[in-house]
Amino acid sequence: MDIFLLALTVVLAGGVFALFTCRWFTLMKVGYIAITVTGCFIGLYALAMSHREDAVTTLSATWQHLFSFSFSLDPLSAFFLLPVFIICPLAVLYSFHYMDKPDHCGRVAVNYFFLSLLIISMALVTTADDIISFALVWELMSLSSFFLVMHEYQQQATRKAGYIYLVFTQVGAMFIFAAFALAYSYTGDFGFQFLAGLPGTIKASVFFLALVGFGSKAGIFPLHIWLPHAHPAAPSHVSAVMSGVMIKMGIYGIFRLYTALDVTEILFGQVVLALGMVSGILGVVYALGKHDLKKLLAYHSVENIGIILIGAGVGMIGVASGNTLMAGFGFAGGLLHVLNHSIFKSMLFFGAGAVLQKTGVRHIDQLGGLIKRMPTTGKTFLVGSVSISGLPPFNGFISEFLIYYGAFHGLSLSGASFIFAMFAILSLAIIGGLAAACFSKVVGVVFLGEPRTGKAAGAVEAGISLTVPMIFLAVVCLVIGIFPEPFIFAAFQGLTSIKSLPPLSNDEIALVAGNLALAGRLILVVVLLSALLRKILYRKKEIAQGPTWGCGFSQPTVKMQYTGTSYAMSIVGFFRPFVRLHTNYSGIRRIFPGRTTYDTHVNDIAEVALTERLVTPLLFFLSKLRWIQHGHIQLYIGYIIVTIIVLLLFI
Amino acid sequence: METYISLAIALLIPPLFPGIILKVKAFFAGKKGPPLLIKYYTLIKLLHKGSVYSNSTSFVFKLGPIVSFASAFIVLLFFPFAGNPSLFSFHGDVIVLFYLLGVGRFFTVAAALDTASPFEGMGSAREVFFSTLAELTIFTVLILFFRLNGSLSFAEYFIGENSISLLNASGALLLFVIVAMFMVLLTENSRVPVDDPATHLELTMIHEVMILDHSGPDLALIELGALYKLFFYSAFIAHLIYPFTLVGGLLNTLIFYGLLAVIYAAVGITESIMARFKMDLVPQFILTSFALVFFAAILTMGVLP
Repeated sequence: MDIFLLALTVVLAGGVFALFTCRWFTLMKVGYIAITVTGCFIGLYALAMSHREDAVTTLSATWQHLFSFSFSLDPLSAFFLLPVFIICPLAVLYSFHYMDKPDHCGRVAVNYFFLSLLIISMALVTTADDIISFALVWELMSLSSFFLVMHEYQQQATRKAGYIYLVFTQVGAMFIFAAFALAYSYTGDFGFQFLAGLPGTIKASVFFLALVGFGSKAGIFPLHIWLPHAHPAAPSHVSAVMSGVMIKMGIYGIFRLYTALDVTEILFGQVVLALGMVSGILGVVYALGKHDLKKLLAYHSVENIGIILIGAGVGMIGVASGNTLMAGFGFAGGLLHVLNHSIFKSMLFFGAGAVLQKTGVRHIDQLGGLIKRMPTTGKTFLVGSVSISGLPPFNGFISEFLIYYGAFHGLSLSGASFIFAMFAILSLAIIGGLAAACFSKVVGVVFLGEPRTGKAAGAVEAGISLTVPMIFLAVVCLVIGIFPEPFIFAAFQGLTSIKSLPPLSNDEIALVAGNLALAGRLILVVVLLSALLRKILYRKKEIAQGPTWGCGFSQPTVKMQYTGTSYAMSIVGFFRPFVRLHTNYSGIRRIFPGRTTYDTHVNDIAEVALTERLVTPLLFFLSKLRWIQHGHIQLYIGYIIVTIIVLLLFI
Repeated sequence: METYISLAIALLIPPLFPGIILKVKAFFAGKKGPPLLIKYYTLIKLLHKGSVYSNSTSFVFKLGPIVSFASAFIVLLFFPFAGNPSLFSFHGDVIVLFYLLGVGRFFTVAAALDTASPFEGMGSAREVFFSTLAELTIFTVLILFFRLNGSLSFAEYFIGENSISLLNASGALLLFVIVAMFMVLLTENSRVPVDDPATHLELTMIHEVMILDHSGPDLALIELGALYKLFFYSAFIAHLIYPFTLVGGLLNTLIFYGLLAVIYAAVGITESIMARFKMDLVPQFILTSFALVFFAAILTMGVLP
């Protein structure tokens, strides 16, 4: 625990260093990166040490005799700390060439400072051991990430995104605090360990209240609205950290609360599973409909949070019905997907950031052919796309397989649990298919084919500090896919914190992990052999170059290429009425038609509902109360006096 | 030993069977039809040729044939042909293998988009949409099979004790599966009524249009991969119809390949008596197959404890 605190201190020192040296731009960046990377390495070392000791290490300090802050590092925390200490240093390294704006060195320094605060607060969220410290670091995390989103505050879109994020994160926090307050009113103690003693109905209220709060942070379906606004607005390394790591803190909250409350009723699993299925399917459908590269990735976060929740829901149903295999593999798959998603999603955001930096374009239908101009970015993005689609032999498949494995073993249950297990499998299948469809769209439209605009044609490879983190993460994706055993065991190690979970025998886990490793290696070997076979077949063959076959058309232009919009149209149309598809078509009216326009856009049903059903009526109601705000200071003082008198009279 | 022999046969024989489809179609049209070994001739012809590559393409274009061939090849390694043990098998391999076919599809689609051709983009969009729907049917079949005998691998389905077959317990449910899997076979292997491999209009194609720019050995790899895939789906249905655990050895192999010939002939008959659907009707067709197996899976709630 001491080493862990040392790591956080070093990270904080990095942030402070950036503030003090902001006049010397390069020195600030180099120093900040060096200090933060060192801090994260110390953090990883601390995790390795804590893994060796069996006992849970705790630290507590009393503050003003009122509260005591206590933090502890158990296996579940350690697993969630892995992405924090792996992804954050890479994002920091990435920022070296990405934040290449010497004119704005002050703002970059502030950005770095808040990034350090975000890293520290995330590390503390996963270790917080009582209500007060959790609430405090949770707020610190929300606020520091808010300032990170607001980096380009001069742009109106960024400010709008920032405020949407702030509203969602604060409303979410209110729900979490309400849950904690409710729990405190029964236990009278702040520690998480007392939550298990709550009466059953209160447990349910606490869990579902907090689920709203954690869900708004994680991006569970109707509460995900801030994600597609905040991620495009934030700088790409911040998007990577927020999408790869920070939203997982919502998942951590759900896992931690489930453990602390020690609830084993089946209802919790069913609700979590249902939320996961809705988030998963609608997330990927909206991702298909969106054509802003970062917005699309944001919706994929919603989808992957859905997959994680499906895993957790399957696990909870398994625990509730006493099905050991279902419980173990469902939870393990969900937990491993937390790590996997943080790896490939931050890599994809890095790639999107590199594309954005070199072309200045976010709309995928204006890009194209980038794999020839940015080979490293293109290849790593391809790896990330295959991984996030959950295809073997990459890491996304490993975690999805574990969830499938758990869910299939849940099929032996009867009644409602059977139906839930069946729908879990079917939604995973459809999510997998649609994710592959979506990422074949992204890779195909952005990186393959011919550039659609001059900006895309003029792109060059991004700087080395951008490509190195991407290459590293791409290699990790393949390594987890080929050597899954240690990672699967790490996930099961993390699960030992969940007390209600019946432990699985090591042989059982090793068997599944070994089979997955066999499959991954077999696939890799056969693909390599096929490549060799192809090479042999092409020996001494005549190879020629020519234009693409245009089906007899001899004057092709790049505008003829299929666009991402058309590519996704039939699938998005299939999911109406859950997706609002708006089409503006000027039509052809005369014999010699004039300028004709056609455009479509997809509106998020949750956002539309929130605007139409909640915000508009609320604004209407509040506008009736506007007379209270009239600007006369003496009357304002009058309000205060009246309030105090009323309070004194009644309380 | 049987494993290796049956696998070797299974790797060599797939190009033979599409000849049966062509013969059946020719019979219905009152024509003589191409020779039975036509696919072998095509493959040999392609292997002797060189290739022309589009200026628009990158390495992804060359990766497409490799991965689509490799994925179909691996699936055959896990399948217990004619009741002989498969080379590899583990509990859960079906999930890996159906995802592996997805990998092949992903790279075929990526290679198609790499050519910057509008037609190939159109084909890709249809391919990913229809195969996603077909995945629903396939996974419902897997759910049903797990309910029937608690297994998750081809070997456990077809050669373990309590194997899944029309003639065994709860076989009636498999009628739904056979019909649905036949529909999936038509979808996934781009046959009429979903796709028409013989059409000449690129606008209406699905799979064929995606490989327009491939030539020579690349095209041979793709064709062989596609033949393997069709062979795998047919073998799957053959195993559902007849349990190869009853008698052993040569007789099984004969019955198996006889059944396969019948299934390929059924494909030929379907292609002869049906026109292809309008594109809008294809999702309904695939969802019909899903509805069939979903119904069967729900029925197990009553049948099984």
